[in-house]
Amino acid sequence: MFLIFLIIIVSLILQLFLPWWIIALIAFPLAFWKARSAGHAFGSGFIAIFLLWVVMGLFKSFPNEHLLANRVGEMFMLPPGSSNWIFMLLATGIVGGLVGGISALAGFMAGNAFKSRQGLKGA
Amino acid sequence: MKLLKAVIALSVTLILVIVLNSKLGDIPPLGKFLDPFHGFWQNAEPRDLGKNQELRINGLKGKVEIRFDDQMIPHIFAENDHDLFLAQGYITAKDRLWQMDFQTRFAAGRLSEVIGDKAIELDKYQRRMGMPFGAENMVKAMQKDPQMLAVMQAYADGVNAYINSLNPSDYPIEFKILNYKPEEWKIINSAFLLKLMSATLSGGSNEFYMNNILSEYGPEVVKNLFPDYPYREDPIIPAGTKWNFKPVEIPQPPALLANTGGMNILTKEKVEGIGSNNWAVSGAKSATGFPMLANDPHLELSLPSIWYQIQLAGDVSNVYGVSLPGAPGVIIGFNKDVAWGVTNVDADVLDWYKVRFKDETKKEYWYNNTWHKVKQRIETIKIRGGGLVTDTVYYTHHGPVVYLEGQKPANFAKVNNIPTGHALRWVAHDPSNEFRAIYQLNHSKNYDDYRSAIKYFNAPAQNFIFASAGNDIAITPNGYFPLKYKDQGKFILDGSLPANDWHGRIPAAHNPTVKNPARGFVSSANQSSTDQTYPYYINWEFADYERGHRINKRLTAMSKASVDSMRSLQNDNYSMLAENIKLDLIRTVKQESLNASQKEALKIVSEWNNAYDSGEMGASIFEIWRKLVEKNIWDDEFTKDDRPMRYPSRDRMVEMLLNEPDARWYDNINTASKETKTDIIQLSFVAAVDSLQDKYGSISDRWEWGNVKHSHVPHLAKIGGFGSKFINNGGSKASVNAMSETNGPSWRMVIQLGKNVKGYGVFPGGESGNPGSFYYDDMIDTWSSGKLNELLFLRSKAEQSKRIRTTWSLSSK
Repeated sequence: MFLIFLIIIVSLILQLFLPWWIIALIAFPLAFWKARSAGHAFGSGFIAIFLLWVVMGLFKSFPNEHLLANRVGEMFMLPPGSSNWIFMLLATGIVGGLVGGISALAGFMAGNAFKSRQGLKGA
Repeated sequence: MKLLKAVIALSVTLILVIVLNSKLGDIPPLGKFLDPFHGFWQNAEPRDLGKNQELRINGLKGKVEIRFDDQMIPHIFAENDHDLFLAQGYITAKDRLWQMDFQTRFAAGRLSEVIGDKAIELDKYQRRMGMPFGAENMVKAMQKDPQMLAVMQAYADGVNAYINSLNPSDYPIEFKILNYKPEEWKIINSAFLLKLMSATLSGGSNEFYMNNILSEYGPEVVKNLFPDYPYREDPIIPAGTKWNFKPVEIPQPPALLANTGGMNILTKEKVEGIGSNNWAVSGAKSATGFPMLANDPHLELSLPSIWYQIQLAGDVSNVYGVSLPGAPGVIIGFNKDVAWGVTNVDADVLDWYKVRFKDETKKEYWYNNTWHKVKQRIETIKIRGGGLVTDTVYYTHHGPVVYLEGQKPANFAKVNNIPTGHALRWVAHDPSNEFRAIYQLNHSKNYDDYRSAIKYFNAPAQNFIFASAGNDIAITPNGYFPLKYKDQGKFILDGSLPANDWHGRIPAAHNPTVKNPARGFVSSANQSSTDQTYPYYINWEFADYERGHRINKRLTAMSKASVDSMRSLQNDNYSMLAENIKLDLIRTVKQESLNASQKEALKIVSEWNNAYDSGEMGASIFEIWRKLVEKNIWDDEFTKDDRPMRYPSRDRMVEMLLNEPDARWYDNINTASKETKTDIIQLSFVAAVDSLQDKYGSISDRWEWGNVKHSHVPHLAKIGGFGSKFINNGGSKASVNAMSETNGPSWRMVIQLGKNVKGYGVFPGGESGNPGSFYYDDMIDTWSSGKLNELLFLRSKAEQSKRIRTTWSLSSK
């Protein structure tokens, strides 16, 4: 939970200024530092960015009555409809979540490799 | 092992990020696009326009106030012209930046820079047609007019002030989809927009078809089927109007009309529907005793809307109307004293000249019995991703030789239009200063101001209509009309003969015009400018008379006209074409050989009231029927793969149907039997009913005209989901309400002049260019139901209105 929370907070702040791919550069070191297992790393990275992006999307889309998200859904070949926005929101969460999850996983693995090297040196 | 795993995981992360940050084919970069902090979600706007704002904008000389009304239309109040046009540029960019960028790139032949090499041939085409050449010449002309140059520069400064205020997350959504950035706005971009209007309204030609028809059938048939004046006409300048000038000498054709031969080429036929209506009634005919003016320009509709409504109030002027996003001023509109509008003049301002080069090097060409130097213009096209293509275009004194032998790309429909080895003489290439005409119209107070403003408008030639609170009405088919011998340019011209050159222009003061005619109204609908007494040649063919005649008929009958009478005329779906030929067609059908549903269909057409209303099935049946009659009469003789031709006009067909039952053209030359007029009408009727049945099943409400016509307004770049929904309305090309599938009235305006001018208007879209805005298409329903909005014209900065939603105050840093 702590890792999820950490990734969300840091991403929220840095995303205000920096391009979207900063989420990978956030999840990686935080997982390097805090992840306990591969599953923990991926899950935390995925859930954190999924939640962050979905909530932020909703924040922009609700006052818009989902007008734009429904149109963009049509652009992505969905049939015209007033619930396209749900699909767009899920797609947004999943794309963001995947990047968050995989970079967190990479962070965890890098940490693993680093720590075992440290261990070797120590031995 | 762990290291290897880590390296793999890191690589996968990196690849994922790179892929999601890149545009793959037509798919936007997904990570970047979906990111709710910078991607498309940021373009989702709330309905509420927000609180009052104070903005600091570099370069303003004084204070500017912009009030947004309930349709987000800006009302700009400035202390001087400079600030006024700077604010116009700024606010137009706020709502329409991508449209401005995309349209100018399209016109300039620079689309490859943003959409890649699939646009190369389109870019080459625009450049070879001389679009940049014409725009550069226009900028040169503006540079000689310091006042206009300052206006253009202020507008550009405003656009750039807005662009410079943007973060990538603020870019219009189309920039995010196509993954590129807005660039600095230059004065020439405004010139490109005007050139684009010329290309749309006066960029077509018939010369090739006419040459081929001449070769195939000889001069008698051409004279008979393609006459120089229509069978039925109701000219813009009322027939019988006297010309109050002494004409200059009319040039003579060369001694021997050189036949330049039939060629395997197709020109872009003038597209019907790109036309318009306007009229003004005098005070004597109106309920208030003051004139009224109405205008509805018909164009290929798109979203973001073609027009942008705006009120511009400076220290000396206060004007309301529609502007072109990317150009200063109001193109069609009104102020407290006057109102004006435009429709297109179908003038012959584009000609093709056969060029004889000395040799393969193409350095010299033959003209006036001697060799002349060819000029070369190198066009450099940048391609997204880094490529560069250079293209050399050869210019004679006439203009660009658009395509040389072997240069025309295959599979590119636009260039089939163009004759290989011919130079293009086009008025849109000439230096001109149209924005001065617009500027002066905006400042006009009376008839004299109107007359002196429009003389600056060269191209595309327009029927400028005018009405004033001083109780004057007037109309002037106006533009640069080349001085020509009769029919010069009806066919391809021999470019080596000086006699075939344009001989200057018809003096601007001799352009046809009429002020306060006895009939109490003026009007135009793209038909012939004048009757046959006008001493000069403008063109041999104009749009058919039907819309114009219907307008004149209804205006003649009107007295005590109100704004609502004007509105109702704009929405008139009645078809003069149906009135003229329907009875004859129906009488010709042999009922005994029809089956049950064909009989029912015939009954529906017979009982139909000739109005193309959305609920009429008769309109659907008649429309398909009359088109098939036309095709079945002409197609066998005038469609040949090796020698492209065009059909005679609709007017000529009507004349033939009514007066020439035995014309040779009815027979289908591809069958052994001899078809008569009756056969053609009968088989066309059966085919029309069959095709409706195939597409819509047996007779039901699915046959109604609104459904068959199936109108909608597509997005400018045809992005899915960004167009309008299906619009169930009426109208036809031969009706005043000239609506077809995606073509129709792009702005409807009615102005009641008087002590307190009142304006009404609507366009099929909205003020915002953002598909994520509630103001993107909020006017479409009002438009499609034929209603008008009352336009909020604030007489002064002091006047307040409940319709104002928010106010921005602008001042310099």
